[in-house]
Amino acid sequence: MPKRKLDPLPSAAFQILLSLVGEDLHGYGIMRQVASQTGGRMRLGPGTLYSSIQALLEAKYIEEIDLREDPKLGNERRRYYRLTAAGRKLARTEAERLADLLRVARAKKILRGEYV
Amino acid sequence: MSDKVYAWLIRLFPAHFQDQFGAEALLLFRDRARDERGFLPRLRLWLDLLFDLAVSLPRMHSSITPEFGSIQASRRFERIFIFRVQGAEAPRPAALLFGGILSLATLGAVPALINHFGNSRLPSAPAMRPRRTELAILGFRKLQASQSNPNDPGHRLAEGEKLGEAEKQRVIEVVAANLRQHYIHPELADKVAQALAAHQKAGDYASITDGGAFAALLTKQLRDTSRDMGLEVIYSRLPLPDRPVVPNAERLAPYRRALEESNCNFEKIEVLPHSIGYLKLNSFPDPSICSSEAKAALAALNDAKVIIFDLRDNHGGYPNMVMLIAAYLFDHPEYMYNPRDNTTEQSWTRSPVPGNKLADKPVYVLTSARTRSGAEHFSYNLKMLKRATLVGETTGGATDVGTFHRIDDHFGIGIRETRAINPYSEPDWAVRGVKPDIKVDDPDALRVAEKLAEQKLRATR
Repeated sequence: MPKRKLDPLPSAAFQILLSLVGEDLHGYGIMRQVASQTGGRMRLGPGTLYSSIQALLEAKYIEEIDLREDPKLGNERRRYYRLTAAGRKLARTEAERLADLLRVARAKKILRGEYV
Repeated sequence: MSDKVYAWLIRLFPAHFQDQFGAEALLLFRDRARDERGFLPRLRLWLDLLFDLAVSLPRMHSSITPEFGSIQASRRFERIFIFRVQGAEAPRPAALLFGGILSLATLGAVPALINHFGNSRLPSAPAMRPRRTELAILGFRKLQASQSNPNDPGHRLAEGEKLGEAEKQRVIEVVAANLRQHYIHPELADKVAQALAAHQKAGDYASITDGGAFAALLTKQLRDTSRDMGLEVIYSRLPLPDRPVVPNAERLAPYRRALEESNCNFEKIEVLPHSIGYLKLNSFPDPSICSSEAKAALAALNDAKVIIFDLRDNHGGYPNMVMLIAAYLFDHPEYMYNPRDNTTEQSWTRSPVPGNKLADKPVYVLTSARTRSGAEHFSYNLKMLKRATLVGETTGGATDVGTFHRIDDHFGIGIRETRAINPYSEPDWAVRGVKPDIKVDDPDALRVAEKLAEQKLRATR
């Protein structure tokens, strides 16, 4: 059931997977990382963020690793999330799919400037 | 104030979402509110949130599935009343209408709220950090495992048998009575007992019919109220023993035989290249059986320049074996904090050990999530004393360390009843585990530790 929510992979879920490549993050950390990697175009609200996290957890694409403080954000203990091997594979597959699309777009010459 | 408004809005999410992520969503809001000050950032924040509600609410409510319908009161966040949605049903149209009107009203009120409260200091999130645990516990699970007879069908609960109200009532009463009688903090015992009574009055247990879920919820509530990770309600589907069984030669025979066959769980004792001593120890066995094996293992590594203790598969064991091995790593008696025992002279290592040359050698300890209990006692102290570098994963955070009190055939409670002195500012390993100094996946830990050891040896040449 959960995987059905992720097929096709929603943009928010893909961005969350990308944000977790290389480091474990808590919810707010994921939100900031996604905003950063999209140039501020995507600011995930709590509903979208945590429903995506929930779907990714259920499908085992990410996992909760521990409950700890983030020294930069005070002494609340936060749930941290980590990309699993399956999640990394899914992100790579999605990136390859987008790369294929990009190749088609290039071939059709609908891109200009730095995208070409 | 504005976080209270958002807390109200969170109630529009489905119950399962509130249970699982409500507190985190509120925390995220507070983080953003703290970081995004001023009129425009705050306006953008509220627009983001309302847009997020508008997008995510219909999707969440339309995708509710029956398995989400069960109530998990344990994740309810504090002081906020929660409307619950039946898992298998979509929300009523009136509820959606109410939600829509509330959202619009909130949107209209945002400028006023920003003007009045935009710069007010937000209250801190509910304190979730457990207070430093203070004490000791015994290995109930081992007792349970050794005394329950899984092959005895007469003692099994019938499959699917549900937990009745009377049993729940009895468990809560006996938990409260045991806390009042045995807990080292009488004032907290009262507070915890009252909290359980309040939960019961609020009907928080009404829907629970599974013993394991009931025990887990009570444990969560005990810990939330007391901030003591050493309290635990335990459920066993198999009947619990009437009284602790005193170990005797007959009962210990299989344990002794297993130790003899496994070289007392000293799985590997090797000297690796560059004179790196490697000891893989899969438990801390009873020294009355295994002290000669332990001494032989450490003697075999006496000329090593570095020692690596591999505790990745070590599930714990006897504290006095922890102390016996730790004694080799110091040239003077050293205090080893153990929340399971009162502080006595046995809490200091019997260092120095005659003929031992390991007291000043660098030490690495390999850890994993399977590293538990006694192995955490060893790892935690060596880390806090800066005597070893921990390489691997956060340890398991074994909490089965309370004195066990039987409630009935299926329930018991573990209560800390000892007072040990933790000289460190960091809480012990209960629930949270011991964090490594060098965090790597457990299969890579040995390779990384060897590399670190080689670098250290090169640097000291």
